[in-house]
Amino acid sequence: MKDRMRSALKTSKADYTEIRIEQREATNVVFRGANLETAGAVVDTGGIVRCLCRNNGWGIATFNSLDDLPARVKQAYECARVAHSDEPIELAPIPVSEERITVSLARDFRGISLAEKKALAEGYNSIVRTFSDKIIDTNTVYQDSFTHLFFASSDGTFIEEERPMITVVAAAIARDGDNVQTAHETHSGQRGFEFVQDCEQLARTAAQRAVELLSAEAVAGGQYPVVIDPVLAGVFVHEAFGHLSESDFVYENPKAREMMVLGRRFGQDLLTVFEDGSIPGLRGTHRYDDEGTPTRRNDLIRDGILVGRLHSRETAAKMGEQPTGNARAINYRHPPIVRMTNTAIEAGTTSFEEMIKGIKLGIYACDAYGGQTALENFSFSSGYAYMIRDGQIAEMVKDVILAGNLFTTLMNIDAIGNDFQWIHHAGGCGKGGQAPLPVAFGAPHVRIQDVVIGGK
Amino acid sequence: MDILKQLQTQAEQVEVVQMRNEAASAEFEANRFKTSKVEETSGVAVRIVRNGRLGFSASSDEKATDRLLANVLESAAFGDEIPLVFPAPKPTPRVKTFDTAISGLPVTRLVEIGQEIVDLILAVEPEARVNVGLQRGIEQVTVRNQAGTEVSFQRSPLSIGTEISRIEGDDVLILFDLVGATTWEEDYLAFARRLAEKLQLARKITDLRTAKMPVLFAPAGTLALILPLMEGVDGKNVFTGVSPLVGKVGEKLFDNKITFVDDGTLDGRFGSAPFDDEGVPHRRNVLVERGVLKSFLYDLKTAAQSGVESTGNGSRRLFNPPQPAPTNLILEAGDTPVAEIIAGIEEGLLVEDLLGLGQGNIISGAFSNPISLAFEIKKGEIVGRVKNVSIAGNVYDLLKDVTAVSRETLWVYNALRLPYILLPEMNVVAKG
Repeated sequence: MKDRMRSALKTSKADYTEIRIEQREATNVVFRGANLETAGAVVDTGGIVRCLCRNNGWGIATFNSLDDLPARVKQAYECARVAHSDEPIELAPIPVSEERITVSLARDFRGISLAEKKALAEGYNSIVRTFSDKIIDTNTVYQDSFTHLFFASSDGTFIEEERPMITVVAAAIARDGDNVQTAHETHSGQRGFEFVQDCEQLARTAAQRAVELLSAEAVAGGQYPVVIDPVLAGVFVHEAFGHLSESDFVYENPKAREMMVLGRRFGQDLLTVFEDGSIPGLRGTHRYDDEGTPTRRNDLIRDGILVGRLHSRETAAKMGEQPTGNARAINYRHPPIVRMTNTAIEAGTTSFEEMIKGIKLGIYACDAYGGQTALENFSFSSGYAYMIRDGQIAEMVKDVILAGNLFTTLMNIDAIGNDFQWIHHAGGCGKGGQAPLPVAFGAPHVRIQDVVIGGK
Repeated sequence: MDILKQLQTQAEQVEVVQMRNEAASAEFEANRFKTSKVEETSGVAVRIVRNGRLGFSASSDEKATDRLLANVLESAAFGDEIPLVFPAPKPTPRVKTFDTAISGLPVTRLVEIGQEIVDLILAVEPEARVNVGLQRGIEQVTVRNQAGTEVSFQRSPLSIGTEISRIEGDDVLILFDLVGATTWEEDYLAFARRLAEKLQLARKITDLRTAKMPVLFAPAGTLALILPLMEGVDGKNVFTGVSPLVGKVGEKLFDNKITFVDDGTLDGRFGSAPFDDEGVPHRRNVLVERGVLKSFLYDLKTAAQSGVESTGNGSRRLFNPPQPAPTNLILEAGDTPVAEIIAGIEEGLLVEDLLGLGQGNIISGAFSNPISLAFEIKKGEIVGRVKNVSIAGNVYDLLKDVTAVSRETLWVYNALRLPYILLPEMNVVAKG
């Protein structure tokens, strides 16, 4: 493959050319309620060529048939020639790498029968189903995928990499009359089959929460002090702040650059936010990004001050900064764009008990259903939540949706927990039509003052 | 040897679906044309019923036929026993979904159209940053099964996504639009003119007070009201009992003014095709008629599970088994001109777009969303854009009482045709 890719690259007339080829095999087992929705494996092979002509633009060709790579290079080159750029498009230099990255999995899921994978999912599914007669439906998923990836660029880099991913999801849907509630738990990593065994507790947790939510009252809307758990804190920092750190948002936009100017105060001294695609064992981790740039730790907010952002080679060159290893693509159908890897709020010093102690009336919001941001404005649904009354966790409430302005909300963070953890959730990030990209979050508990909670 | 014939010797029922797609696209980033792309995708998906059990597999690797066959047989060994029957041949409905005016569009023409959109926006808002993605495709789907069905159809989707951002200090305004069709539309810039109009209207910011007030949903905003219904009429959610609509066919659930239809047979629309992805002919499915719940959407599997016929709503992507999904969804027009509706509002809110749609427990009908673009209406006129406002409610309560549905409708998000809907009263929360 290396020789074929390199000889195809030699035919390119573009200023820069890269080829990425992926061979993926994936297994998917899905139960819904008593029914097996699907159990089977698929084979996906394909590639992408990306060409840059400095005075024109980018051209891309994607394909399934690997028969004629030079023809694909020519297609991409012709696409790149269509555009015209007044200012030449530059790429920041990166070291030339040549590496073969293999993984060794404790129990390699490629050698495990579909029967065993199905039995695992079936076991978790029956825990959820039989938890209570109020559980009317489930969605239990087992997924694995093993990608063999080849990357070669005209700079001379060649990387061959094995990328495994394994995931279990247990979702419970409970119903009482017209009241329908859902809860889900996930566990995912670049690991072997052993990683998703013994996850019975996860299935029980999902089922129990869905049933509990049936008797929860909808939260009364208003402004509250809110304590968010590490999961929601991680999702929040990813969605509301992380996306603004992606330089493709600011690099061609002077107004956005002003908004995200380095040195601006984003939070109180206690707030530090970082991104790190190089930590072993996390979902967003790879040694190189999809442009061949080595990944590393990048501080985004240090002691409340904006100190960094995430780059591809192009955005780094444009802004006169260093590439950070954040150009990522979900698969061969897409070019790499600036993305997060593993995003985290650094641990603070406050214990959970201290954090809630002084709150007369507030909300403890946990887990995230999802979130959306439009730059400064965000909206997040928590999976479940509790009222805080007189410094104590009180009754469960539902439909807790946090909304607000990023800048005021970050400034309103006034306590950060000492209980930092990385979250091994299956959550994926979506951007530019590319979803889900595996990412990880990390955070401790975080307290925010004056959060607007939607509700009745 | 042909996969269908090969598998027929080992299984009672076989379905082979071939998908082939060519696409060309052009992307504008920050007002500038920057990237163009050509895509060729092809693959085969196979389902079999063997010993009464259903199996599925797919492959995009044309050289991996042996693995495809082994995978589908293994899958069927563990598959569920479902009384699913692949359909015998049926007459082909005439639906126009292919237009050489689209399939022949070269990248250079896509670039020209994109430039026209950017120019039109910048003419009214020179400070705006416009991203435009234009894509035209040629899609070919072939569905064959052991019962003799062999259908093949071609579609030429063109879709244009536009995102406009305008930043002034910490005020960020973002507008988004997505339009699509499968036949060429002469007035392809109509949506861009509407965006330009909204940008002009959005210049003035007004303060809204927290109150109960009438809320008028513009077509894209109406999506907030119909998302829960889309989930509710999904045959899978009905079969599993998750849908709050289970057992309510024939009941009057909504205002008389609400008629909700799925129709994959409309010429030229984005969600149209003569057949669904399982070879079942598309048809017009009336879901809600004058407030009365009429029917649900099924694919072959959920229909078999529920003991009914497929409604022609089997939808699939290469690597996943079919699922029920709407084709084109239409909320039928009413009889009041929108200008008249606005003129009749003393104090209210016009909701163009919401943030975070589809989050949370939507199947219950509940929603609570911040608004990304909305205008204040005072004494029958739009007076300015409001910020930091959110609305919440439950669709199943709200749609019981609808003050007016507009005569005008718009196609939004490719395959939804929606009117303006005026609700008499909602809680509007404003944070200054």
